[in-house]
Amino acid sequence: MIGLTEWWNDLVATFVKCFIREDRYMLLLDGIGITIKISLLAVVIGIAIGLVIAFCNLSKSKILNLFGRIYTDIIRGTPSVTQLMIIYFVVFATVNWEKWIIAAIAFGINSGAYVSEIIRAGILSIDKGQAEAGRSLGLNAAQTMSYIVIPQAVKNIFPALCNEFIVLIKETAIVGYIGLVDIQKAGDFIKSQTFEAFMPLIATAIIYFVLIKILTVIMARVEKALRKSEAK
Amino acid sequence: MITVKNLHKSFGDVHVLTGIDEHISKGEVVVIIGPSGSGKSTFLRCLNLLEQPTAGEIYIDDQLITSPGADVNLIRQKMGMVFQQFNLFPHLTIMENITLAPVKLKKMSKQDAIKKGMELLERVGLAEKANNYPSQLSGGQKQRVAIARALAMQPEIMLFDEPTSALDPEMVGEVLDVMKDLADSGMTMVVVTHEMGFAREVGTRLLFMDQGIVMEQGAPEEVFSNPRNERTQSFLSKVL
Repeated sequence: MIGLTEWWNDLVATFVKCFIREDRYMLLLDGIGITIKISLLAVVIGIAIGLVIAFCNLSKSKILNLFGRIYTDIIRGTPSVTQLMIIYFVVFATVNWEKWIIAAIAFGINSGAYVSEIIRAGILSIDKGQAEAGRSLGLNAAQTMSYIVIPQAVKNIFPALCNEFIVLIKETAIVGYIGLVDIQKAGDFIKSQTFEAFMPLIATAIIYFVLIKILTVIMARVEKALRKSEAK
Repeated sequence: MITVKNLHKSFGDVHVLTGIDEHISKGEVVVIIGPSGSGKSTFLRCLNLLEQPTAGEIYIDDQLITSPGADVNLIRQKMGMVFQQFNLFPHLTIMENITLAPVKLKKMSKQDAIKKGMELLERVGLAEKANNYPSQLSGGQKQRVAIARALAMQPEIMLFDEPTSALDPEMVGEVLDVMKDLADSGMTMVVVTHEMGFAREVGTRLLFMDQGIVMEQGAPEEVFSNPRNERTQSFLSKVL
């Protein structure tokens, strides 16, 4: 019994030392803000780039195909931390934008390659007869895509896209490399300031876990709503 | 109404159509029969350019639709098509399936399209299904909706690509009845089918295709009872 009390008191003391003293919890809160900001902007950029690259890959033009393939190849063939550092220290070296925006651009460029493959697969998963039916009614290629193929593809794409966003959020844990303090870096700071490893690192893990859990629950609801029309 | 001159179509090294010359007049119900692989469906799909012919010319109402400058989308609005696999849009209700094209292509206002859609659904006997989704319908019902959808664009010609081949036997009749009605109303129709009864009863002309050409043609009764070509004889002896 005494052992348990001692252990509990220790735990509380470490907690206070790690998070309460010197307002160190603020580090984590700010980190959460940075992680969320980067992730949200990166998702938007990723979808935009993904759409463009997907249409390059699906197009009949050989040049666009080649461009899409090279883009995807380069992004998939290099580590994201390398890409992040190249974007920050080389491409945007002379640009005086906020760091988190540049980080979001880097992650968006990275995510775009994966999103494009998801979108491409989703569009190809729709039976050719659907497009033919659309065209046979006199709709042009763009109308057929936007009224018939894409609305159906979205349902197929959505789960894979959610998965990509989850990967993206976790991937942002490398922004410490360009001096941004996100959740991961905040945990790391607390570790080095307090010489405590367990508490700050577990806290870091829990925060990521909760963020992603919330996202998963929201996405599951959206997916359910999307499936409504064909489920009956 | 439709004139086809020396139509060829190849897929890679495979020559599916090897020179078709044909004229289809307004009000005709042309039924195309023949063994599988004879090019029937490809011929039909060339008529609305779902397949791009390799060579040859197709005229619709004296307009050369195979010329590079032809407005394919406008031409297709004049030609309805019904597919073997129905190809209803699963994410839209029956009514939305029918009204999508007329509304988006600005042929009708939404209200007019719905009114017209209701008329068409009544005509094919499915008015009560207007707000259902395709997955809630049987195969025969889906095909009747597909016919209504094509008719909503008020086409001058209807193309049917084996419309009953994917149906359970007991549903074939309901679809053929709708098609017969349509033929009686004077619609120009080109029908690829294996339904010899329909061909005989409704068709005004029968084309027998094999090896990428029209081997024999004539009034259905005549071709069925007195086929001249050896291949027609052999085919009919197997299917009749």
